Amino acid sequence: MKTAPIRGLAAAALALVLAAPGAFAQAVVEGRVELPKALHTPVMNKRYGIISYAGVLAPYPPVAVVYLEGSFPHPSSPPPARMVQKDLNFSPVLLPVQVGARVDFPNLDDTYHNIFSYSPAKRFDLGRYRSDERPIPSVLFDVAGLVTVRCDIHEHMRAIILVLDTPYFAVSDAQGVYRLEGLPVGRFVLKAWLDSRTTLSRPVDLNAGSALRADFP
Amino acid sequence: MTTACHARFAALMGIACLLGAAEGRAQADDDLFDHIDDALTFGSAGEAVRARVSGTLDLEGIYMSQPEEGLVFSDGNAVLVPRLSLFVDAQVGPRLYAFVQARADNGFDPGEEGPHLRLDEYVLRLTPWDDGRLSVQVGKFATVVGNWTPRHGSWENPFITAPLPYENVTGIWDTNAVRSATELMVWAGVSPRPNRGGAFLVKYRNVPIIWGPSYASGASIFGAAGRLEYAFEVKNTSLSSRPETWSPTDTQWQNPTFSGRIAYVPNEMWTLGFSASTGAYLQGEAQPGLLSGVSLDRYTEVLVGQDLGFAWHHFQVWAEAFEARFEIPGVGSARTQACYVEAKYKFTPQFFGALRWNQQAFSALPIPGGGSAPWSRDTWRLDVGPGYRFTPHTQIKLQCSIEHQDADSNAWSSLVAVQFTARF
Repeated sequence: MKTAPIRGLAAAALALVLAAPGAFAQAVVEGRVELPKALHTPVMNKRYGIISYAGVLAPYPPVAVVYLEGSFPHPSSPPPARMVQKDLNFSPVLLPVQVGARVDFPNLDDTYHNIFSYSPAKRFDLGRYRSDERPIPSVLFDVAGLVTVRCDIHEHMRAIILVLDTPYFAVSDAQGVYRLEGLPVGRFVLKAWLDSRTTLSRPVDLNAGSALRADFP
Repeated sequence: MTTACHARFAALMGIACLLGAAEGRAQADDDLFDHIDDALTFGSAGEAVRARVSGTLDLEGIYMSQPEEGLVFSDGNAVLVPRLSLFVDAQVGPRLYAFVQARADNGFDPGEEGPHLRLDEYVLRLTPWDDGRLSVQVGKFATVVGNWTPRHGSWENPFITAPLPYENVTGIWDTNAVRSATELMVWAGVSPRPNRGGAFLVKYRNVPIIWGPSYASGASIFGAAGRLEYAFEVKNTSLSSRPETWSPTDTQWQNPTFSGRIAYVPNEMWTLGFSASTGAYLQGEAQPGLLSGVSLDRYTEVLVGQDLGFAWHHFQVWAEAFEARFEIPGVGSARTQACYVEAKYKFTPQFFGALRWNQQAFSALPIPGGGSAPWSRDTWRLDVGPGYRFTPHTQIKLQCSIEHQDADSNAWSSLVAVQFTARF
């Protein structure tokens, strides 16, 4: 009675191993991406607001998304992600997710936001919702591509969700330093996404137990 | 209605559709506008001083029956309106904010021949505290009265024309003092109602209770205290005054207008506002028509209003109701009530629709021979406005309006307008 489920699990594990050679090997890539020049901090349109807050918006330091391109098994449910609206800004302003991931958009401000995107990879409009709205409005990103997210009320608010067809990605720090761990071994293409028009790439050979240094450019 | 009018209007529709279709194909590359936005944002070292140049390019066509509705003054059936609006938003440190709106178009009146270049708004604002409790600004800017001005721009306004209280002209002239109720009713076109052909020339002398966004010059203080928002302004002309009087060089400061609004905001969903304004509405040209020794400031426009705003998910509603009283030489007090209810709904992320009901009624004045009659034409209007956003930077709107005025002839009029907007 108990052997049938055990056999099933073993078969599933074997299938996973065959379908993803090197899935249990662990490789590491690290390096530095030369980041583009920082953009100017956005200027908020305060023309007709009755409440005019002082202060300035936080700057957007440029960062890069580095990811491993290849044919990898798709998890049934990639981990969820979150992009908050706080102090009239998105945070983070660049969010990589795997295809099939759901992203929550909590509003942490005491004013309305209206998050939307008309990008071909995902078109949605969440409407106006309060900070106490439950469930937190969320969107499933099921097509790979670049999704520009905006607020219909605050025109300076802009963020990017990079929907990737790979589970192996990382965001660099503000100096461009990145590290990807737990990678499969084999020959792949490593890419660094800098902005909507600039994606750098280079082939990499990943070996088990070794850390590869890969800088861009 | 001439063949040329039809042709111009059809050409505009065609151009708008082509532009829309072209933009539709370019959705994948809408970040071109974002790169323009980034390129038009400037900053000093350390970002202490930053400025952003943005704008809207409108291509607007209005096809209307005569006599025309609202603040359109034309003897034709079709008006083509190209309009470039440039905005500069500048932040100097955390406390100082400046804003400029410049426009190139036919003129504030779409029926003018143009081209005209104007500085519609310029503002310098000081915000001493971070929490928004107080801001002080000086310059030339939209009125704080009511809740329409924050959405009067072509991108934000679900319609192409303003609500009725902001554009329906009354019988009042601001350049001449009327001598009797009978003359006022003639000016108002109560009877006989003007027919097409030159009526717009007379109509341009008439003023509404609030002339569009009323970009008059002055100073204001505004802010929030808990759930209450407040805004007070002193300006050089009344709410009903025409654009030629808004600049500080056009009208001196002998007869300022004082306006204010207090709003209760229980949460993000609801806003309930109360507005009031008082100020002289007659311009200097009217002085010779007054009795010797009588000052212009004796003849005031007093306006009180309530506004309501509601928003939840994809649904928005705005409503405003005003009562205005004009003190008229030789007549006394003439009152009018105007209101509208406007709703907008986003059916899909890109397709939206709006519906607006507008109404204005006028009090009765005694007329020679006994009896009384309204001093201007009671009016109602229904506006329907679908719109579509091709990209976050381009949209097209259509507006169909039907208006009824109590009059002895030509009681019905209509308007169809289309507007293509590119925002950068």
